[in-house]
Amino acid sequence: MLDFLSEKNASICGGSHLSRREFLQVGALSAAGLSLPQYLAAKENNGVRPGNDEKACIMIFNLGGPSQLDLWDMKPNAPREIRGPFKPIRTKSPDIDISEILPLHAKIADKFSLVRSCHHDGAAVHDAGWQMLQTGRRFTGGIHTPHAGAVVSYLKGRKTDLPPFVVLPELMGRGGGNLPNGQAGGFLGKAHDPFALMADPSKPNFKVPDLLPPDLIGAHRLDRRRTMRELVDQTVKSFEASEDARLLDENFHAAFRMMTSEQARSAFDLEKEPRKVRERYGMSRFGQCCLLARRLVENGVRFVTINTFLTVFGETTWDIHGSKPFTSIEGMKNVVCPLYDQGYSALIEDLHQRGMLDNTMVTGLSEFGRTPKVNPAGGRDHWPQCFTVSFAGGGVKGGRVVGASDPIGGFPAERPVDPANVVATIFESLGLDHTSHLPGPAGRPFGLVDFGKHPIKELFA
Amino acid sequence: MSMASKSFIGLAIGLGVIAFASAGFSAETETDASKEWSFRHHVLPVLSKAGCNGGGCHGALAGKGGFRLSLHGYDPVSDHYNITRDAGGRRTEYSDPARSLLLTKPTTAIRHKGGKRLEPGSKDYQVVAEWIAAGAKPPTDADRTLERLEVTPKTATLKKGDSQSMTVRAHYSDGSVEDVTDWAKYTSADETVAEVDEKTGEVKVIGHGEGAITVWFSSRVELARVTSPYPNSIAAEVYEQAPRQNLIDDLVLDQLQGLNLKPSPRALDSEFVRRAYLDAIGALPTPAETVAFLKDGAPDKRQRLIRDLLARSEYVDYWTYRWSDVLLVNGRLLRPDAVKSYYNWLKDEVASNAPWDELVREVVTSSGDSLVNGASNFYAVHQDPETMAENVSQAFMSLSIGCAKCHNHPLEKWTNDQYYSFANLFSRVRAKGWGGDARNGDGKRTIYVASRGDLIQPRTGKPQPPAPLDGEFIPADSTRDRREYLADWLTSPENPYFTRSIANRVWAAFFGVGLVDPVDDLRVSNPASNEALLNALADFVVENDYDLKALMGLIMNSETYQRSADSLPENRDEQRYFSRYYPRRLMAEVLHDAVADITTRPSVFENLMNRDGSKTKTEFYNKDTRALQLYDSAVDNYFLKIFGRNKRDITCECERSNQPSMVQVLHLSNGDTLNGKLRHEGGCVTQAMSGAADDAEVVDRAYLLCLSRYPTEKERTGLAKMLTSTPAKEKRLAVEDMFWALMTSREFLFQH
Repeated sequence: MLDFLSEKNASICGGSHLSRREFLQVGALSAAGLSLPQYLAAKENNGVRPGNDEKACIMIFNLGGPSQLDLWDMKPNAPREIRGPFKPIRTKSPDIDISEILPLHAKIADKFSLVRSCHHDGAAVHDAGWQMLQTGRRFTGGIHTPHAGAVVSYLKGRKTDLPPFVVLPELMGRGGGNLPNGQAGGFLGKAHDPFALMADPSKPNFKVPDLLPPDLIGAHRLDRRRTMRELVDQTVKSFEASEDARLLDENFHAAFRMMTSEQARSAFDLEKEPRKVRERYGMSRFGQCCLLARRLVENGVRFVTINTFLTVFGETTWDIHGSKPFTSIEGMKNVVCPLYDQGYSALIEDLHQRGMLDNTMVTGLSEFGRTPKVNPAGGRDHWPQCFTVSFAGGGVKGGRVVGASDPIGGFPAERPVDPANVVATIFESLGLDHTSHLPGPAGRPFGLVDFGKHPIKELFA
Repeated sequence: MSMASKSFIGLAIGLGVIAFASAGFSAETETDASKEWSFRHHVLPVLSKAGCNGGGCHGALAGKGGFRLSLHGYDPVSDHYNITRDAGGRRTEYSDPARSLLLTKPTTAIRHKGGKRLEPGSKDYQVVAEWIAAGAKPPTDADRTLERLEVTPKTATLKKGDSQSMTVRAHYSDGSVEDVTDWAKYTSADETVAEVDEKTGEVKVIGHGEGAITVWFSSRVELARVTSPYPNSIAAEVYEQAPRQNLIDDLVLDQLQGLNLKPSPRALDSEFVRRAYLDAIGALPTPAETVAFLKDGAPDKRQRLIRDLLARSEYVDYWTYRWSDVLLVNGRLLRPDAVKSYYNWLKDEVASNAPWDELVREVVTSSGDSLVNGASNFYAVHQDPETMAENVSQAFMSLSIGCAKCHNHPLEKWTNDQYYSFANLFSRVRAKGWGGDARNGDGKRTIYVASRGDLIQPRTGKPQPPAPLDGEFIPADSTRDRREYLADWLTSPENPYFTRSIANRVWAAFFGVGLVDPVDDLRVSNPASNEALLNALADFVVENDYDLKALMGLIMNSETYQRSADSLPENRDEQRYFSRYYPRRLMAEVLHDAVADITTRPSVFENLMNRDGSKTKTEFYNKDTRALQLYDSAVDNYFLKIFGRNKRDITCECERSNQPSMVQVLHLSNGDTLNGKLRHEGGCVTQAMSGAADDAEVVDRAYLLCLSRYPTEKERTGLAKMLTSTPAKEKRLAVEDMFWALMTSREFLFQH
């Protein structure tokens, strides 16, 4: 029943398909017993379809906004100022041509699929897209939608001693638009914020900072510290109304559980991987984050987000404006693409060889794409009107292209896909019912995605 | 084409011709002259309301489907051209308006990717059709201008579950008034209090508190406020009898009464002393200071403490640090000597309690050698007119005007032209010497003002006449530094943004939440939780000649500031009306220094962290330097990083985070900062044990040191018992563990 408004009816100019009121009315009707059994069943299961406990997601977030035209949606027949300096190459999938600067992608193109018609209607600033692509919504009226990983944390909880939702290697920084970046628990509460590693796993002697007590503090002292702390903390009742204070308590419990867990220790220990495997992923920060993500998923983490970069300021990233302090098109070719190509292809191959790919969705997302026209500095600027995102594993059939852009990669020409569709697709893969509801601020129900938004079904089956 | 859509056109054609006289807008019939639909005041609002010129549709920079409109209609002249002339004029059919693409597309009579936007025969449809039929007249300079919007009701007190409809009237320069309720767009500033139908403006109250509805029409923004009292019953005497010290208490209590929220009682002396020290100077009171304050029986002891704190040297460190966040004193943007010069200039200003308007004027009009005049480093951090303009606005008015660089600000009144007028004030700022690479060079940059030069407004290709945002244009022949005009306008008592911004920043520093929150966002559509109070504080700032210490004294002396952090059943659900003091985690640097002070072990600050992760040695800091004395946010320190210090990459308080996290807990538990300092021989553990009569005294000393209070009987006996039962050779470790427990408690980590 919740399907009656098909994707086709929704216009590609977002924002006003359905008001929240209409959405709530339908939600209320459903709850009043007018809905299909599917909806009720999902409600009883708290939005989680049974039998999906092994499902996980690795969300790779390509900060900066990769150029669709230079990477995965090339336009070799377009004029020179559109097509840019690179050439497409054939891949293992007959349907996918890809850029010559991603040669390792070509070899595994049968395992991932591309959506070439993603777009959003937010501002063309980094943080607007970070927020929308990771949560499925633009934040309005003071409502902060949770990250998809926080939703999973809320609905499924932790599986092992490890936290359910981890961000590698650090949370993303600020993007210049002064907007929240969406990498948080939002209205589900800070208890569903991700655990952020805060370290670079490619560094020699990498370990999780402060995961283990120093040798001087043995079990006896740990025990004494906890007892004393509980005694001290009992006096403080005034903080009950403070979310941050409650959160600190939860942090203490979660941290203690992780500190004392053999499994957690082992999951983060990259030294347990053979040298050859580590090198296959590439000894870059991104490559080793991909490897660590695989280990975390093996050990029960349900959602890992990898930030390919931490900021767009002063780093060589996907943000190829061509002028300083941003990245040039050569910087992308010589620095960014090699490490991305290597890490991504290793991850997909490795998951496949271990039989984990069917249960693990790997998404390659970004805040936007780049302008069809090369700018006077030889770079390309922000372009949320059309860009490409990738999906692999977790039930997604590889080797496909969904949607298409127009002849210059400027707008979706077929099957427009928006951030809500992207996030709904992730939920679908994880066995979550995207039509079920979360408790929003002031007890208002919020759909996992906005009403009328659906997964990109063509990727599955 | 299907039969259905053919008949649509038939119907539409009919309507376009015969429905000519049946005007849809009530006030339109008031004068004969206004019978004609105006492109600027009728057609564009219809298109805006239908969403045609939104950022995802034809309002995109590149337009959509070959048809481009200015975002939300900020450029009527080019919109008119694109509608009537572009594409061979196919978009308007004067003789048969209903065949115009401008109507056949949005009604989906022919295929429209944007879906159906207009209903054939609706009044919106008629406006467009009749305008075309009348010759699609262009906007002219002689058009009346929109002067203001009037929203009724402007304020409403409603219960949860209630609905309320609104009326919006537009007042024009020729004295005419029109009802534009149907053309306005509505959003709720706080969707936990009220939601609003974005089309009809129907408000529904869904929670408690004060909500605001933003009404947008023709680039004007107006607010309506909705008050939804909490479902408590509180006797009027509670408010009548509540103690009041100054204007803050009157205005806060008024609001609490309106919202049915009960004020928490006064904080205990032990709570107040800790709070006052941390908020005023960023440091804990020493045990001796705490005891002296607790023993003092004079009724004015809190006033005296406040006065003394505001005169201390730590005050200078703390507030220099906070304003350094605003001015971006950052070694990743400046060379070391420049950082030092910038910082020392600021510190001198704070030490002399320079009035805020004078301090800001010095920054804004600064010139000369960056190593001599530290203030001029503002123009080393920001190097082009647009960036200068945006950061002046953000830092000193808490207004983000960046959106207006490309189009009229969608949430604010700032237009694209105003942006370029404003940015043009900086077009003559030039520099010699060091060029802005923070990795190389001497950092010596000389700022001067050229006598000519203008910034081009890209939309017109001409220089935009310089003017401060909504201020007067600068005389064309003036040779005075344009930044002087800017400073006059910026720091004028008549500039509400400037005084509200600083009043709000100071308030937020003491309460952890701004009256306007976030503090970086003072736009009209993000109103204060207590507008009357923020206005009164702004007036106070002006009356006191921008003396920030006077404002701090006013705040700290209020009952509102001195309320307990304990919530009551009748106020625990609110987080922004100041019925109690809200606990918050200590800011990174303050927490660090508290740990260092208690353990008597300062940290060593010897490296700067570069962007690429490499480190550079710095010789600036000696072994006693506290975190609050660092010049520079680039100083490498893991503790400060994970506890969320402001990175100072962009002008935004939002770069700072006071939120607890598991990473912080792991570091407190297992990391070297706290453990390493506690281990230190001769530090707080040694001192607490030395000469103590018994274990209870050790506990007492530790509590005074860490929590600025004596332990409760239960705490004292409980902890003393654990210490007493510990074998002598392990005793020190047990005391260390007790300190650890105290310093990881919520009571320690939080300001309360």
